[in-house]
Amino acid sequence: MFKNILQTEWLKVKNYTAFWLLISVAAISYPGINAIVYFTYDDITKGKTQGGAIAKMILGNPFNFPETFHTTAYLSSFFTFIPAIVVIMLITNEYTFKTHRQNIIDGWQKNTFIWGKFVSVALVTFIVSLFFMLVAITLGILATKTYTLAGIFGQSKYILLFSLQVFYQLSIAFLIGLLIRKAFIAYGIFIFYSLIVENIMVAFFKLKAVKFGQDFGRLLPMEISDRMIPVPAFLGKFDEAGYKAANAAVNTHVLYTIILTFLIWFLSFTLFKKRDL
Amino acid sequence: MAVLEIKNIAKSYGKIKALDGVSFDVPPGSVFGILGPNGSGKTTLLSIILDVLQSDEGSYTWFGQEPSHLHRKKIGSLLETPNVYHYLTAVQNLRITQSVSGRGSEEEIDEVLKKVNLYERRNSRFTTYSLGMKQRLAIAGALLGRPSVLVLDEPTNGLDPVGIAEIRELIKELATQGHTVIMASHLLDEVEKVCDHVAILKKGKLLTHGRVDDVLSDEECFLVCSEHIPALRSAMNQFPDVLRIVDTPDGIECYFHKSTTSPWRINDFCFEKGIVLSQLYTKKKRLEEKFFELTND
Repeated sequence: MFKNILQTEWLKVKNYTAFWLLISVAAISYPGINAIVYFTYDDITKGKTQGGAIAKMILGNPFNFPETFHTTAYLSSFFTFIPAIVVIMLITNEYTFKTHRQNIIDGWQKNTFIWGKFVSVALVTFIVSLFFMLVAITLGILATKTYTLAGIFGQSKYILLFSLQVFYQLSIAFLIGLLIRKAFIAYGIFIFYSLIVENIMVAFFKLKAVKFGQDFGRLLPMEISDRMIPVPAFLGKFDEAGYKAANAAVNTHVLYTIILTFLIWFLSFTLFKKRDL
Repeated sequence: MAVLEIKNIAKSYGKIKALDGVSFDVPPGSVFGILGPNGSGKTTLLSIILDVLQSDEGSYTWFGQEPSHLHRKKIGSLLETPNVYHYLTAVQNLRITQSVSGRGSEEEIDEVLKKVNLYERRNSRFTTYSLGMKQRLAIAGALLGRPSVLVLDEPTNGLDPVGIAEIRELIKELATQGHTVIMASHLLDEVEKVCDHVAILKKGKLLTHGRVDDVLSDEECFLVCSEHIPALRSAMNQFPDVLRIVDTPDGIECYFHKSTTSPWRINDFCFEKGIVLSQLYTKKKRLEEKFFELTND
């Protein structure tokens, strides 16, 4: 069954220019953001000033193996909205062209249709994770002077964390597309919420953390998975206690993210099955 | 065994009853027309039997079995509008149809595109097609892999007269090869030309169904004409068992229950009354008349 699903979903995107265009944008933006930080850091620390030398001594190079996986994952996670647009496009297209009906009419079960989208989201996650890995490894090679094989992959758990985070956030994008049906409204909601509303709410809850007894911001939909990848070590140096706490909470957030991912897909399967198309 | 058996299907959209206890069977090898004015529930009914909508009540079977997706794979369907990926070409779209349904092969894709006259434009994107070409692609999708049953919702939508005639011939050809065709339409002329069975819906209710000949011929109509129409009309009013008389520019139409009279008895009757007929013939009732008769309040 999965071979047929994969083949069909591939036929849907294979010759779709907009899909490949957006994937190319992702392919450019991931190296882009990381390279900017890499070269800015390089510039500062290469300088002959005393400040630069101190910075280098205190911060270390964030793109050294194995820390490069952590730094790159953190920086790249700001750009998940690009593959999210791809995912929203893939599901809302089906509504626009009414092909969600035709797929069922032609003999797919409703579950098969959602599995198709699950596979697509997994595929986009895979592509994006591949970009991330290439960038992390390339910058690692550029930054590291001497390295051992064990040293290279010491932080490779961030590959998995990054993939899980992307898959979860793309699943949210998918659910919004599935519920809203209209492409531009779905893009609007996802981007406005994930880039603006939630950041304001996270800041708000952080301010009121003492008053409310705890920081509820960490339980917001995107933040819950953002906290799987805490700020990189070099930024953590500014708030050692906070950095330690963030690292300690990672496992809890991994669990939350896995549970929520499961719930999102369970909801998608149930909704699509019950709904008139 | 019926290809499709519909039992007491009902469906509401809020307060509006789109279908209200509809039941009928589609015999194998028939060309079955589902007729009804706009909003009578034709597409809703087809959507239910294709599992796109869920009925509130009632049930249906395909090939005498509980309906499943495996049946749908064997049925070529076209519902409402051409539902295809706009950014793909005809061939690319049909490959998806093939992948989802398991019907057809690469050669058969070319074959159906030739059949619907879209072969020349097979590698152009759907968005560049005219309305008629879009409809042809949707029909090609339904025909792919020669399914034994076809469900076609308004198949001639958007086609020009030549296109309509081609589709008509295609449906007739399919019927002679033993395929079952279920088609919804409000084009009575079309249905009359190709269908052998018909079901007529109005506001979600099934008004009548059965063989086209049976549905049409519950009454007989004779057109009679003479020099002096008023005298003819008053004479015919006295004719035994006449149901009603309608004036037309060509004379008067007299309606009777089926097989209750014959032309020679009318002729004889008028002659006795001293009226010489200038015209007398049996008028075959057309589906259109029957349709208006049934669907008019």
